Amino acid sequence: MKFTIAREQLQEGLTAVAPSVPAKTTLPVLGNLLVEATKDGVRLSATDLDVAVTTVVPAEIDSEGGVTLPARKLVEIVRELPNAGVRVSAIGDQRVQIECGRSKFKLLGIPKEEFPRFPPVKFDRPWRVTSGDLQKLIEHVAFAASTEESRPILNGVLWELRPERMRMVATNGHRLARMELPAAGGKDSADLIVPPKALEQVRRLFDPSEELEVARTDNHLGFRSGQTRVFTRLIEGPYPNYEQVIPRENDKIATVDRQMLTAALRRVGVVASDQTHRVRLAFSGGTLRFSVNTPDLGEAHDEIAVSYQGDPLEIGFNASYLLEILKYMPTDEVRLTFKAPERAATVEPVGWDDPASYLCLVMPLRLID
Amino acid sequence: MGRIVVLPDSVVDQIAAGEVVERPASVVKELVENSLDAGASEIVIELEAGGSSLVRVSDDGCGMDRDDAVLAINRHATSKIRSSRDLVGVATYGFRGEALAAIAAVSTLELETAVEEDGGVGTRVRAVAGKIESVDRIARRRGTAVSVRRLFFNVPARRKFLRSLRSETRAAVEAVVLLALARLDVSFRLVSEGRVLLDAPRTSQIAERLAALFGRRFAEELLPVDFASGAISVRGFVQRPADARPAGRRAYLFVNGRPFKDPLLVRAAEAGYRAAINPGCRPSILLAISLPGESVDVNVHPAKLEVRFRDRFLVERAVEEAVARALRPMEAAAAFGSGSVGFRSGEFMAAVAPGLSGGEASPVTEGSLFGEAESRAPLAPGGVGNPIQVFATYIVFETPDGLAIVDQHSAHERVLYEAAMAQLKSGGAAAQHLLLPLTIELEPSELAAFEEHRDLFRSVGFEAEAFGGNTVVLHAVPNPHPRFDARRCFEELVADLTRGRFGAWKNRLERFAATYACRAAIKAGQLLEPVEIRELLSRLFACELPPHDVHGRPAIVQLPRAELERRFGRS
Repeated sequence: MKFTIAREQLQEGLTAVAPSVPAKTTLPVLGNLLVEATKDGVRLSATDLDVAVTTVVPAEIDSEGGVTLPARKLVEIVRELPNAGVRVSAIGDQRVQIECGRSKFKLLGIPKEEFPRFPPVKFDRPWRVTSGDLQKLIEHVAFAASTEESRPILNGVLWELRPERMRMVATNGHRLARMELPAAGGKDSADLIVPPKALEQVRRLFDPSEELEVARTDNHLGFRSGQTRVFTRLIEGPYPNYEQVIPRENDKIATVDRQMLTAALRRVGVVASDQTHRVRLAFSGGTLRFSVNTPDLGEAHDEIAVSYQGDPLEIGFNASYLLEILKYMPTDEVRLTFKAPERAATVEPVGWDDPASYLCLVMPLRLID
Repeated sequence: MGRIVVLPDSVVDQIAAGEVVERPASVVKELVENSLDAGASEIVIELEAGGSSLVRVSDDGCGMDRDDAVLAINRHATSKIRSSRDLVGVATYGFRGEALAAIAAVSTLELETAVEEDGGVGTRVRAVAGKIESVDRIARRRGTAVSVRRLFFNVPARRKFLRSLRSETRAAVEAVVLLALARLDVSFRLVSEGRVLLDAPRTSQIAERLAALFGRRFAEELLPVDFASGAISVRGFVQRPADARPAGRRAYLFVNGRPFKDPLLVRAAEAGYRAAINPGCRPSILLAISLPGESVDVNVHPAKLEVRFRDRFLVERAVEEAVARALRPMEAAAAFGSGSVGFRSGEFMAAVAPGLSGGEASPVTEGSLFGEAESRAPLAPGGVGNPIQVFATYIVFETPDGLAIVDQHSAHERVLYEAAMAQLKSGGAAAQHLLLPLTIELEPSELAAFEEHRDLFRSVGFEAEAFGGNTVVLHAVPNPHPRFDARRCFEELVADLTRGRFGAWKNRLERFAATYACRAAIKAGQLLEPVEIRELLSRLFACELPPHDVHGRPAIVQLPRAELERRFGRS
């Protein structure tokens, strides 16, 4: 393996793949990047076994071949090099010499055979989606997925592809986010359960205007545009029937200024318990009253003006769930709907000038008197 | 007519003797108390055949003159009170004036005594079965020696009930120990069959006395107690929870310096351990309660073993609280090596979470069980350094005088146990309603266990309803930490309750809380973020008893700096 590459090109390629290198790993080769000289250029790959990212950057190839190199050291070296041509040559199958101007490095790597190969995904009949649409879905939904390991299915984001629309849903069992976009995705319908960290790479790597090809082979999903590809393992199993838990009969409706609501929740949240962040909301007429009472710590009270229709209601929430949802709401005003203190509440944007429809749902906390 | 007669004095004395003098140990107790009341500074007790052949107590107290010596053998002759008014708030050990007479009535008694003023001339009184046989002048220095021989020789029934020599000896030693704990200013020496069983020289240090009585190792397992609430103060020592064992506990209670027995107060002290010890283990406790004389009646029982408190509840609460506070500081954590990390939770709170520090730790004190407690100089609040997690199981951090090692599961268990107890008592925790209810299949026996504890499940946050058959549906669950797995916790909790794990806990709430805490806590092997580590530590140190988990295992182990220095040859 021997090639010469402009420092900026190499840097760009590293920026694309290096974030996929796991921070901690028990398999040393996963801390390395796979560097391969091919006739198309230099291919850089990283994986944590769940998600893999590869990209190809142009380079002048003298001889083909590959090796894995410690990702962090390689990134640091390239960052410090002057803007000039970088000459990379393999010495044997696990040592590499890097030269740039009068700087010279030798790095010890691991033979490329030890780098885990991701199962190939065939892009012969891909779905085509606009990167910007996908980014919008990911940004508004992925946060709601569960991070707790007991129900693996909830660790994923459900991505429903239909001929005329696509939709993403995520929930941890306490709160849920759902967004839908009209889109000409293409031919087949599919329900894919995708790990959020793969979606995060997709969101980060591709320009909003790009058209992405998405394909599935067996249990793996691939995204590609240009020379950059993201592969991920899919989470198997039926996603819970979320439709049936979305309330349709909520008859108490409040319209609230998002920033005022956020500010009040943050204020009273200061004295909420660290574990449950329990806040009591009382809607009545044009007023929303907040109260927090944490034994051993103290209490807080606040109120803001709202427009509210329905019988007076007192309901408890985990303030951090509400705050998180409010953070992703795209409009200045939001609509909250309720049925009863133990039933799901919904949060939606008001007056959003966008073809997308967005709904979040949060389960209350039991109130104790 | 003639069927009812007034009993002759000799019979009355024998009856009284039956109350006061039950066994040789009671003779020892009465005589030593007399010595103490006489202002002795050195008391020697000699036993033969466990006291049944001979009990001899000699002292260097004030002694008696000839007239008093003769009178002392008579019933209700006492120097200690003059009228019934003096009975309230008695400050001396003896006061009923029946002890010596009662002992004399059932033995051969020889009293040798001399007062300072008579310049080396004393009196010897010999009495058999309470009858004075002779009164002689003898040469003797100040003080009194009472020899009791042939105890119960005229009460064969009582003599038959004496236990083995060993057990009688032990009881006698125990009687002296009680008094020796109360009076550091007096030296006690007990010799049985020529062997010294107890030798406690005068000291001003309670630690010295404890070591002399029980051995140095036991003395090092003790944590000081020093607590006052209103007019009640509780001082003394309790055993470190990690050192409590199933057998061989020592429980000594004193009120205003007077030893007494009170199982309910011992229970209150154990309650102060807040489940920090294994249900099977019994901690040793040595507690001295002081309260105003009028709040306690010690004249309930001739042997003065029982006392009556005007407000028992208040006393029990003070004892429980005193013990709980003594266990709170870091000194209470199990130690390896010698020395102590010398670190208190209040300081930890201040260091780890400034402004959050809620409960201040009571100052640890040393000094006499009864004397003025002297506060240990406060430690300079030092930084805790950065706590780190090792083996995904323990959290290690630096303290001013060493290293503290926290077991993350035990620590979290302690945190959740106290939270659950609060929830069970106050009526409920916040429960997170579930978007997707959990359906759980139980065994029939598990379903029964669940039904039996349904109210408690509800209180900690599980809202469940039967769903036909053996299935229950959870609509709401507790949310004690972000890694909480509600299904697993519920299943394990039900299984534990069914199998009667933690069955040793009598209290239903405690049993449930301990089981819940165990199952809801983060497990060993769980990697934690730095922020989670800090959160766990700050919550642990806000607990009542941070150093102990709910199974009697330590939650914190300390490695004293002195021990490190010893190992590295720096000291």
